[in-house]
Amino acid sequence: MSRFFTTGSDSESESSLSGEELVTKPVGGNYGKQPLLLSEDEEDTKRVVRSAKDKRFEELTNLIRTIRNAMKIRDVTKCLEEFELLGKAYGKAKSIVDKEGVPRFYIRILADLEDYLNELWEDKEGKKKMNKNNAKALSTLRQKIRKYNRDFESHITSYKQNPEQSADEDAEKNEEDSEDEDEDEDGVSAATFLKKKSEAPSGESRKFLKKMDDEDEDSEDSEDDEDWDTGSTSSDSDSEEEEGKQTALASRFLKKAPTTDEDKKAAEKKREDKAKKKHDRKSKRLDEEEEDNEGGEWERVRGGVPLVKKPKMFAKGTEITHAVVIKKLNEILQARGKKGTDRAAQIELLQLLVQIAAENNLGEGVIVKIKFNIIASLYDYNPNLATYMKPEMWGKCLDCINELMDILFANPNIFVGENILEESENLHNADQPLRVRGCILTLVERMDEEFTKIMQNTDPHSQEYVEHLKDEAQVCAIIERVQRYLEEKGTTEEVCRIYLLRILHTYYKFDYKAHQRQLTPPEGSSKSEQDQAENEGEDSAVLMERLCKYIYAKDRTDRIRTCAILCHIYHHALHSRWYQARDLMLMSHLQDNIQHADPPVQILYNRTMVQLGICAFRQGLTKDAHNALLDIQSSGRAKELLGQGLLLRSLQERNQEQEKVERRRQVPFHLHINLELLECVYLVSAMLLEIPYMAAHESDARRRMISKQFHHQLRVGERQPLLGPPESMREHVVAASKAMKMGDWKTCHSFIINEKMNGKVWDLFPEADKVRTMLVRKIQEESLRTYLFTYSSVYDSISMETLSDMFELDLPTVHSIISKMIINEELMASLDQPTQTVVMHRTEPTAQQNLALQLAEKLGSLVENNERVFDHKQGTYGGYFRDQKDGYRKNEGYMRRGGYRQQQSQTAY
Amino acid sequence: MASRKEGTGSTATSSSSTAGAAGKGKGKGGSGDSAVKQVQIDGLVVLKIIKHYQEEGQGTEVVQGVLLGLVVEDRLEITNCFPFPQHTEDDADFDEVQYQMEMMRSLRHVNIDHLHVGWYQSTYYGSFVTRALLDSQFSYQHAIEESVVLIYDPIKTAQGSLSLKAYRLTPKLMEVCKEKDFSPEALKKANITFEYMFEEVPIVIKNSHLINVLMWELEKKSAVADKHELLSLASSNHLGKNLQLLMDRVDEMSQDIVKYNTYMRNTSKQQQQKHQQRRQQENMQRQSRGEPPLPEEDLSKLFKPPQPPARMDSLLIAGQINTYCQNIKEFTAQNLGKLFMAQALQEYNN
Repeated sequence: MSRFFTTGSDSESESSLSGEELVTKPVGGNYGKQPLLLSEDEEDTKRVVRSAKDKRFEELTNLIRTIRNAMKIRDVTKCLEEFELLGKAYGKAKSIVDKEGVPRFYIRILADLEDYLNELWEDKEGKKKMNKNNAKALSTLRQKIRKYNRDFESHITSYKQNPEQSADEDAEKNEEDSEDEDEDEDGVSAATFLKKKSEAPSGESRKFLKKMDDEDEDSEDSEDDEDWDTGSTSSDSDSEEEEGKQTALASRFLKKAPTTDEDKKAAEKKREDKAKKKHDRKSKRLDEEEEDNEGGEWERVRGGVPLVKKPKMFAKGTEITHAVVIKKLNEILQARGKKGTDRAAQIELLQLLVQIAAENNLGEGVIVKIKFNIIASLYDYNPNLATYMKPEMWGKCLDCINELMDILFANPNIFVGENILEESENLHNADQPLRVRGCILTLVERMDEEFTKIMQNTDPHSQEYVEHLKDEAQVCAIIERVQRYLEEKGTTEEVCRIYLLRILHTYYKFDYKAHQRQLTPPEGSSKSEQDQAENEGEDSAVLMERLCKYIYAKDRTDRIRTCAILCHIYHHALHSRWYQARDLMLMSHLQDNIQHADPPVQILYNRTMVQLGICAFRQGLTKDAHNALLDIQSSGRAKELLGQGLLLRSLQERNQEQEKVERRRQVPFHLHINLELLECVYLVSAMLLEIPYMAAHESDARRRMISKQFHHQLRVGERQPLLGPPESMREHVVAASKAMKMGDWKTCHSFIINEKMNGKVWDLFPEADKVRTMLVRKIQEESLRTYLFTYSSVYDSISMETLSDMFELDLPTVHSIISKMIINEELMASLDQPTQTVVMHRTEPTAQQNLALQLAEKLGSLVENNERVFDHKQGTYGGYFRDQKDGYRKNEGYMRRGGYRQQQSQTAY
Repeated sequence: MASRKEGTGSTATSSSSTAGAAGKGKGKGGSGDSAVKQVQIDGLVVLKIIKHYQEEGQGTEVVQGVLLGLVVEDRLEITNCFPFPQHTEDDADFDEVQYQMEMMRSLRHVNIDHLHVGWYQSTYYGSFVTRALLDSQFSYQHAIEESVVLIYDPIKTAQGSLSLKAYRLTPKLMEVCKEKDFSPEALKKANITFEYMFEEVPIVIKNSHLINVLMWELEKKSAVADKHELLSLASSNHLGKNLQLLMDRVDEMSQDIVKYNTYMRNTSKQQQQKHQQRRQQENMQRQSRGEPPLPEEDLSKLFKPPQPPARMDSLLIAGQINTYCQNIKEFTAQNLGKLFMAQALQEYNN
């Protein structure tokens, strides 16, 4: 906003000027960083060009100002330096100049400089007074400028012929522009806009008068002030583009020729009008080529100039055309990303523009284009990546995307694509298919990102979160619509991307409908019901299968495929399709190279592994469950690995930047995997594996732990000075393990499955009862095994019937378990079939025997070590054994030579 | 209380038998030049030591105390004792020496022998051959030549036979300890092995005639059933513990040897390097003839030989292993006898 006020205060203009310079660059950088904004490229490039132009011209005017100052103090050396810089700057601005024509002020300085130099050259007296440097500079500069000016000869002559006219014209223009500016000021602050509108004419005129006064005062000021003044005018020139530049010229001219006053201008006004029109036309030709052929066309445009700045004023009898709207749109977009722009107001303006476009039936093309920009502006609203959208903005964004999709679906002749160039856009020619630049996919991806951000930043235990979560359905619906749209029109790559989005919104959801359908097998009576259910939508499994297979087949980027595979596995695992999930995991070979993936994919991988482990557990495959969960659980950083929270411990180790990045990686709460469930599943499967193993290898010195974490929990349990009834999940598992160690399956069962544990863990499974029955059975079996390992030495024989009674297992199961143990040589026993008893062989060594064996082993190593010490004293390392080897080697040698020596060596032994 | 007296009464005979065995052992050892040839302990001292352990010692914790008595010719008579108070780290300002002096002064007032002649210590499964014991016994023997250490094994005692042994450091070990040089070379020079570290002094428990009479009387009254600990056939627990401890020691020994081994390798490696360097130097000297040869001490200064590991620890471990082995041997021998006896009894009954 501030730059609109610059004309009022001089000093302020300076600061805003420098501010402008500072700001433009970072803004450009920002856009480079946001590839998602591709859809706005068209506007972007335009805006960038304009700002570049501003910058270049500003540079030029600055240089010119210094040259003029130097001219005043006759510092030719300075003049030369600056002139060289000016030449360079002009070279840089060449591309813009080619487009816009040679700027008038540039021609003027060239002409003035040449005149000035000639004057100096002629002045022999003055030349003599000059110091050596200056004289030298003078001659060089003179030569240079002669050479240089040859390129601009026509411009300079035309300028010299009519310096007055151009200056006046500019001055006049300046007045109007300043008026425009004032209006603009009102227009931009949209909130106050409506109110101000009524007062606008009077206010404007007042301001205008005041401003003129200011300028008069300025011009009467001493020469010192001139510097400042030119500064202010040049800042004007940034705010306006074409016209602004001329304003600068004009005001400068005013100062140069103080005789040119208001009266004179008024008198000449008529004459200038034509020239101005001509100029206007030139400047607008680019935008309005199509309408240019009409004779009175630009008459209307001229009227429209102020209107364009004020959307509401479109209504004032002017015909709203595409060109006008597009121009307006571009103008609004120019302000984007600049420091002073009020983003909220911008969005509002754009929305007004849409309304106007709709009211005037400008066609869908324009509306689509504006919509694209509205959404982009909405995303732009937050300059910071970390902050998230406000709910109302978010709602607006969703609505906007929905409307956009409505239009796109309603008008199949609209082509949307980010590869459509701005030039080749067709916004209103109804005969040909409409072409609009912009990418719906990136918009949706960005929307999804925003959604994630909102979810990340909302307290997951608040009602607010639930409210936000309701939007998820809308997000999904939009994604689905876009998917349908892209399936018709998009490239395979785009389809893959949207499919992945769809997958990412599907994979973690448990499909209760499909589950229900599975539970109720197809029967004749419920057929109609079933049909109905089927009509409601395809199974998520089928959907996942379809989407993923498409990606597997068509995707060329590795990342999308990896994500799709992981999601697919996750989905399988979630729905207890263990074998499919496992096979997919093994076939993908992701385990080998996942460590090279980027962190979000790794998090997804970890989540998948965990889900896989939990799935295996539900199927009763404790070993697989344990293996799958081992990596995540053993590190003790499950929370971090799953992206479900940051660890406090490492808070000091990372700086703020890292923390921000990590925060952005967090998975929203509704995707979380319950950590307690995870740990419980891990510990219980570890218990089922470890306790029988411990019992079997009790006296084995070299037994290894299966699960370190489980042992840790056991030790923690043992360290308790006073053992109360278990409270937490861990304590329950530890207590259960202790009971199981004694083969007491009933106690173990009561510790693992009870009210508390049900509430904490088991009820979280979709098929809780099935899991519980599986668990009971597992506990019975493993307890039986543990019992046999622990107490087999006490029995001579034991009846299987007794065992089956003790563990409430049926006889065949007991039989099979014992048989398996015998086959695996875990149990030294045999089965006596007729009496149904297990006869122990009692070949297991007793405790003392075991100890003695261990001692013998240790003594063996002791002797070996001792031998080595002895070898040292003997001087030969390896000792006795080494000698023997050498002997053999010698033997071979001798054998080659002849038989008799061999005999000799043998006798030597 | 009565049974307690009974127990001690019965031990008088068994201990005298062990004393005899020890005497033989000593004879074999050939360390005849020792100042003390026999230890005569009052029954009171034995009872006091047992009581001390009963009250304060439990598990692996040991109790210690001071022995009082006097030397008569080559016989050390221990007539009284008092325990060291158990104290924790908390009361660090507790002065043990002060306490002992106080105690002895008080005893002197009531006209009891107050000469410091050694100390006693309880043990857990015979694991008493430690550095701490060696150090304190050395300081005792250094100050009072005749002092002994009495080792009381409460576990063995609970099994039915009083286990009380008196030990002294051999003069050889005393010399080594005095020099405080436990390097392999020094020990080799001293020609000391784990067998000649401690010498066991035979013990005789002596009671006054009145007490003897009382004991005879009590023995007549006591039933046979009271002595059944001696006939207990349960052996596995004790044996297992002993084996476990033995294994731990063997592990330590192994580690020690490995350490020694690396030391040996390092020294030999460095010696080789030194040789090479010396040779190079000689070559240099040959090349630049006329220059005075460089002193070789520089080399040894430059290349410090690796710190030799103290061998005392391994000696002690070896001694400890020896004790364990003897314990096990003794225990199994007795148990075998018991088992045969039980078998014979069973056959007889059948």
